[in-house]
Amino acid sequence: MRSLIIRCLLAGTVGVLACSNSAEEKFKQQQAGTLNASTSVKDLMKARNLSEADVEAALKTYTPTGKKDEYLLFASGGQSGQILVIGVPSMRLLKVIAVFTPEPWQGYGYGDESDKIVQSSTQMGHKLTWADVHHPALSETKGDYDGDYLFTNDKANGRIAVIDLKDFATKQIVVDPILMSNHGATFVTPNTDYVIEGSQYPAPLGREYEPLSTYKEKYRGLVMFWKFDRQKGRIDPDKSFGLELPPYTQDLADAGKLDSDGWAFVNSLNTEMATGGTLDGKPPIESGASQNDMDYMHIINWRKAEQLVAQGKAMTIAGMKVLPMSVTGPEGVLTLVGESKSPHGCDVTPDGKEIVVSGKLDTHATVYEFSKIKDLIAKGQFEGKDPYGLPILKFADTIRGQVELGLGPLHTQFDGKGNAYTSLFIESKVAKWSVKDLKLSEKISVHYNIGHLVAAEGDTVSPDGKYVVAMNKMSIDRFSNVGPLYPQNFQLIDVNGEKMRLLADMPIGIGEPHYAQMIKADKLKPLKVFTPGFNPYTGMKDPNAVEGGKERIDRHGNVVDVYMSAVRSHFTPDQIEVDQGDTVNLHITSVEQAEDQTHGFTVDMYNINLSLEPGKSENVSFKADVPGVFPFYCTEFCSALHLEMTGYLLVRPKK
Amino acid sequence: MSATTKDHHVHLAMTPSVRAVPRWRRWLVVALMAAAVAAFASAFFFEWWHFTLYAPQYPHGLKMGISLTGVSGDVAEIDELNHYIGMAKLEGVAPIERHYAAYGIGGLAVVIFAMTLAMGRRTGWLIVVPAVAFPLTFTADAFYWLRLSGHALDKHAPIHLAPFTPQMFGNGEIGQFLTFAAPSSGFWIACFGASLVVVATFIRQRSVCAQCSQRGSCGSVCKSAFIGNELT
Repeated sequence: MRSLIIRCLLAGTVGVLACSNSAEEKFKQQQAGTLNASTSVKDLMKARNLSEADVEAALKTYTPTGKKDEYLLFASGGQSGQILVIGVPSMRLLKVIAVFTPEPWQGYGYGDESDKIVQSSTQMGHKLTWADVHHPALSETKGDYDGDYLFTNDKANGRIAVIDLKDFATKQIVVDPILMSNHGATFVTPNTDYVIEGSQYPAPLGREYEPLSTYKEKYRGLVMFWKFDRQKGRIDPDKSFGLELPPYTQDLADAGKLDSDGWAFVNSLNTEMATGGTLDGKPPIESGASQNDMDYMHIINWRKAEQLVAQGKAMTIAGMKVLPMSVTGPEGVLTLVGESKSPHGCDVTPDGKEIVVSGKLDTHATVYEFSKIKDLIAKGQFEGKDPYGLPILKFADTIRGQVELGLGPLHTQFDGKGNAYTSLFIESKVAKWSVKDLKLSEKISVHYNIGHLVAAEGDTVSPDGKYVVAMNKMSIDRFSNVGPLYPQNFQLIDVNGEKMRLLADMPIGIGEPHYAQMIKADKLKPLKVFTPGFNPYTGMKDPNAVEGGKERIDRHGNVVDVYMSAVRSHFTPDQIEVDQGDTVNLHITSVEQAEDQTHGFTVDMYNINLSLEPGKSENVSFKADVPGVFPFYCTEFCSALHLEMTGYLLVRPKK
Repeated sequence: MSATTKDHHVHLAMTPSVRAVPRWRRWLVVALMAAAVAAFASAFFFEWWHFTLYAPQYPHGLKMGISLTGVSGDVAEIDELNHYIGMAKLEGVAPIERHYAAYGIGGLAVVIFAMTLAMGRRTGWLIVVPAVAFPLTFTADAFYWLRLSGHALDKHAPIHLAPFTPQMFGNGEIGQFLTFAAPSSGFWIACFGASLVVVATFIRQRSVCAQCSQRGSCGSVCKSAFIGNELT
């Protein structure tokens, strides 16, 4: 009996062993890279004229196939109206998120719902097909990036967009019906309760006409606090409010955090209130706006402002709640303090205790102590009032000190070791300095005319440092000539060691990026495929989504609803016949669930183009106004039979 | 009954050649059979066979599992690929077997117990037949369906392929796919159950029936229902 058991066990074991998975081994061998070092590194360096520093930089940034980046950079796409997603340290472009501008590949602005998002921002009767994207902001929880949402602004048309990082799709564009342009946007409060939007060029609030001669009386600035409903993933305009500001051309902003939570800070750059008039022999705005030695930082107690709004102290302009200066000044909600002229950055330190401001026309960075500011406001100790009755704090009483950095300091970010990094526009350098000691430690050249810079999680309560990206406005001699419109230049700087090291250049050929935010890649948890029938633009299962086998064409009078599925390598139905003049509603669902198995859908000549990622459901409606034979097909090379993934829309001519 | 028990001890001591079989041996056989039935029952809830298909587009492999009641894993994707060669959807495979699988396991349990109690010395060896047959039948049936799938290809499919039988055991290659197939835990648990039945039957035949006082006259049917009193 024992021998029988042993025999059984042996047979089983042999069976299992004989059945080892060599298919997997063989597959892995086939997939492995075949790079063999055939030439010595020294020979390669010589052949390509590379220094040891070059090789070190290459080793710090080279990312072999299949390896992923440590950080993701969400950069403004400037005039493209989009957001660029870039891997760090490889500096590879991963995606262009369609935001304000129709984007064909993602089918953004070509389907009913995404078109609604783009068109919802038609302004003053004009369909806007571009935007000036400046400052993306990642959502925060307790002052740290949480990887859930991204916001950004359109400076030119005063718009704010909400992007869900679950699918990297724009969900909402809100328009401020009061202001014309913005710049102090977007910045979020530490728990993303509010998205801050500061106006840029003063204009009559509510977009009315007033002559320039009434600039001081009728023109105003504004800062909006857009309420973000995290549950819904949307901004709630009804719960949002604004603060009327003097016509000082407000600039960048930042939200307080930790000690300064509940407060916000907004720069300004034309406290002279110059309006130009060059043809009349008056100085241009650039001169008129640069006469005073100091401009004003606006100090805003938004928590208190929120209470004042709740108490009904806001007025209503174009349907929006706005607290007038006559309320905010006396209540200590809006206070001014001098700042170096023509400032650009207004950056709260990671501990929330201090604010760093640099003026483009001053060589210093100024460090304000928030506790001093708060005390002075509480005690009502002011130096005076501005023409609008707003209290002004005494500059010298609010600062801890200044540090001389160089020419044209703009924007500051931080690392986790107590260092600050400030871009020097005129000098084309990045300055590294100690916040505690107010001491410059080092400068590194960048190429050229750096605007903003970004450090890894460099504006949060716990910055990582590690990498700084310089966002340069000019590239001059860095890249091959591609005509007079030169690429912008992102430069990656290693800030891990004692000395900063320039690692890599990345040309940006789509617009002028302004600001970016850099988040640890593992904080993001995006979807790989949509749940079947999901419409990302409504954020729910599409009521018209169709399952495989239930495809159909319904006709009601002259309205034709087509419930279509897409799967490798066919659309069902693949023949649609309508009459000229019919309204055609296409409801298309990708019934795929395999990762990265995307289809497209286009109808020739009808300007219809959709992207159908696995599980996605889209609707597109159009009037079949032109008779003819219109092939439709899948625009993604989805499979070996991709070219066969096609069908016909036949529009019968009117009799 | 107490008298019988006393006799039993007397027999043991005095006449070993015709002694009564100790009762615990009978219960051991029943316990082993019960364990085997429990193994079969639990195997019902496990996957019995698994397939992995590797191709460049599927770096982690496409996985499919077969249980007694259905298929699991990347079924939709495998169906999607199979449609190119005109292979039927996996959901439609072996409908009767899958529907009656639970009854099959239940029936197996009843048959094993019934045979354990009813079979005589000569026929007792037959108890191993249903137990061993169950996993073998599964394997044969799965092979039949695999072969059928690969041979009943839709002639109108975009890609015309010569009829084939997908590799059911070990490594194979089809198109751009490297495949691997092997039994899974459910199958091995069933095999374990079958071997328990084999072992139990061995004990039943060698250590119970062969020494039973009725061994000369029991024929095909056990007159004492195996665990009943031995007739003397």
